[in-house]
Amino acid sequence: MTMDRRRLVVLGTAGAVSALQPPLPRLAAAVDRGSSAAGDELPAREASWYKKLAEGRVECELCPKSCRVADMERGTCGVRENRGGTYYTLVHSLACAVHVDPIEKKPFFHVLPGERAFSFSTAGCNVECKFCQNWELSQFRPEQVDAYDLPPKTLVDAARRNGARLTAATYGEPVVFWEYVRDVAVAANAAGIRPTVVSNGYIQERPLREVLPLLSAIKVDLKAFRDEFYREQVRGELEPVLKTLRIIKEVGVWLEIVVLLIPTLNDSPAEVRELCAWVEGTLGPDVPVHFTRFHPTYRLTDLPPTPVASLERAWEIGREAGLNHVYLGNVPGHPGENTVCPGCGGILIRRVGFRIIKNRLDNGSCPDCHRPIPGVWS
Amino acid sequence: MEPETAHRAMDAALAASVGTETGQAAAAALFSRHDTVGIKLNCLAGKMLSPRVELVEALVDLVAAAGVDRRRIIVFERSDRELRRAGFTIREQGPPYRCIGTNNDFDPLPSSSGEIGSCFARLVSTTCTALVSLGVVKDHDLSGVSAGMKNWYGAIHNPNKYHDNGCDPYIVDVARHPFIRDKLRLTVLDGVVAQCHGGPAYRPGATFELGKVAASTDPVAADLWAWREIEAERARRGMPTLEAAGRPVRYLATAAKSGLGVADPEKLLLVTT
Repeated sequence: MTMDRRRLVVLGTAGAVSALQPPLPRLAAAVDRGSSAAGDELPAREASWYKKLAEGRVECELCPKSCRVADMERGTCGVRENRGGTYYTLVHSLACAVHVDPIEKKPFFHVLPGERAFSFSTAGCNVECKFCQNWELSQFRPEQVDAYDLPPKTLVDAARRNGARLTAATYGEPVVFWEYVRDVAVAANAAGIRPTVVSNGYIQERPLREVLPLLSAIKVDLKAFRDEFYREQVRGELEPVLKTLRIIKEVGVWLEIVVLLIPTLNDSPAEVRELCAWVEGTLGPDVPVHFTRFHPTYRLTDLPPTPVASLERAWEIGREAGLNHVYLGNVPGHPGENTVCPGCGGILIRRVGFRIIKNRLDNGSCPDCHRPIPGVWS
Repeated sequence: MEPETAHRAMDAALAASVGTETGQAAAAALFSRHDTVGIKLNCLAGKMLSPRVELVEALVDLVAAAGVDRRRIIVFERSDRELRRAGFTIREQGPPYRCIGTNNDFDPLPSSSGEIGSCFARLVSTTCTALVSLGVVKDHDLSGVSAGMKNWYGAIHNPNKYHDNGCDPYIVDVARHPFIRDKLRLTVLDGVVAQCHGGPAYRPGATFELGKVAASTDPVAADLWAWREIEAERARRGMPTLEAAGRPVRYLATAAKSGLGVADPEKLLLVTT
């Protein structure tokens, strides 16, 4: 059945996953849970960020698309619906992918190395990256994927039972389930579990500022440093993402950045150099930047995987630009996965893929030269 | 609507659209007995503004009379639920025809056409060899008009992604995908009751009795007609044009440029019976 196939594919891409204990409560089979006009069979909660307009329309104030949505229609994310002039989220507590992952998989390399992150996602996304690796959940509507009924407290209880010290809103796009992210963060903090988010950063300022203080860390995909790329490959815009990064820096939540390098589209040395210079100049040299390897998928299947040489060139450019922590991703075993002390050059955390081989950090500092290494270490 | 009235209207519309003496002759010209005919309805607005059952069944009867086995006539919408809400009975196998929601049975991989990349309903991509769009005549908050062409948004998994810029060129990109372009034989519009404002949802104060059923082998011309009717009603009510209201109907010009049909009012041949 299509639903099961879609869910299983998502499970299959999750990498190092441990079985969830006990099994989570699944919703009834999704067949005929309807669509736009019939979405009333989905559990719905009034959205937190929108305004009402004339004639029953609403304007979403969650992401920069600012969708104006007529009655019985949904925003571009596909998970928010106008019902008679009130805007609802259809995905609060409706997780369609749930796994326990190593935190390195997000990737966070400066957040509790080697710890488990209880990771979750709902359906939907506010952009449409042609290279999306999780398109089978991000590009679908909630009624089109199988899902778990997973309210925040249940999720956090499950995280604790599974030995996770962190939660991670990830896989799809947490911006579209931002109320759920917020409520999970509140529950996680109360339970002594650190909430994290993996996002495209395409969000308006108000919802971002309201939720950021609840988070321990956020990873943002900076998909390119050209607005043209954002418009053509992502159906988004660059500037709002840069604004998000500036706000995160200002608020002081731990930030890591991922740049997926795609051959011919965003991997030119000039663009990488500009990107690194902007990060160093605007966010500071201590923000980790991960250059990761593209693999053909979804609508971008006519390009080859990123050559390792391109990644290594970006790695070098980043360090030349003054960034202290530049990493390479999707190249297991490459030295670019290791955390190196910017002071003495010693290897502090040796990694292979998502595994920690050795962690020499001493209370967040280099054991050799005692230089403090920024991050969330305890 | 009385079934006999529906049959007369559908018969006349089909005959006029193909230029035959009868609707049955038109159906015979459009469909072969080897076809599996998919009739896509637009039931988003519920029973008050969806294709009425009597008209759909009149069309089914004509297609069947043309030699298509009734088990190979599939009336469909996005979900069983929407069909039920519009007054249809779900019939997995028939008789007297199949009536089902696609219910998320999509192709496993997306297929691109212009700006869109979507998984198409397998009914459209695989099962059916001939397609009919059977929509309504209504205003749409973003595209201006929702009639026969936008109805195909209901055959893809991600329509919510394609509402920017008045749905232009996305409506056209969906309609010109080979799954649809190569199979589309007919567009029929239930204009017995139409809506000139507040769509796509049903808005009682904005509906009006147009009292017409339109059919065309040209999907662009059918939507052009719907647009004209909506504008005419808006003018009668002293309302601004769709363009002045901020939702110009851009997609029709794009459709014409793409070779899908005729969007020039001067070239629209209106046959009324």
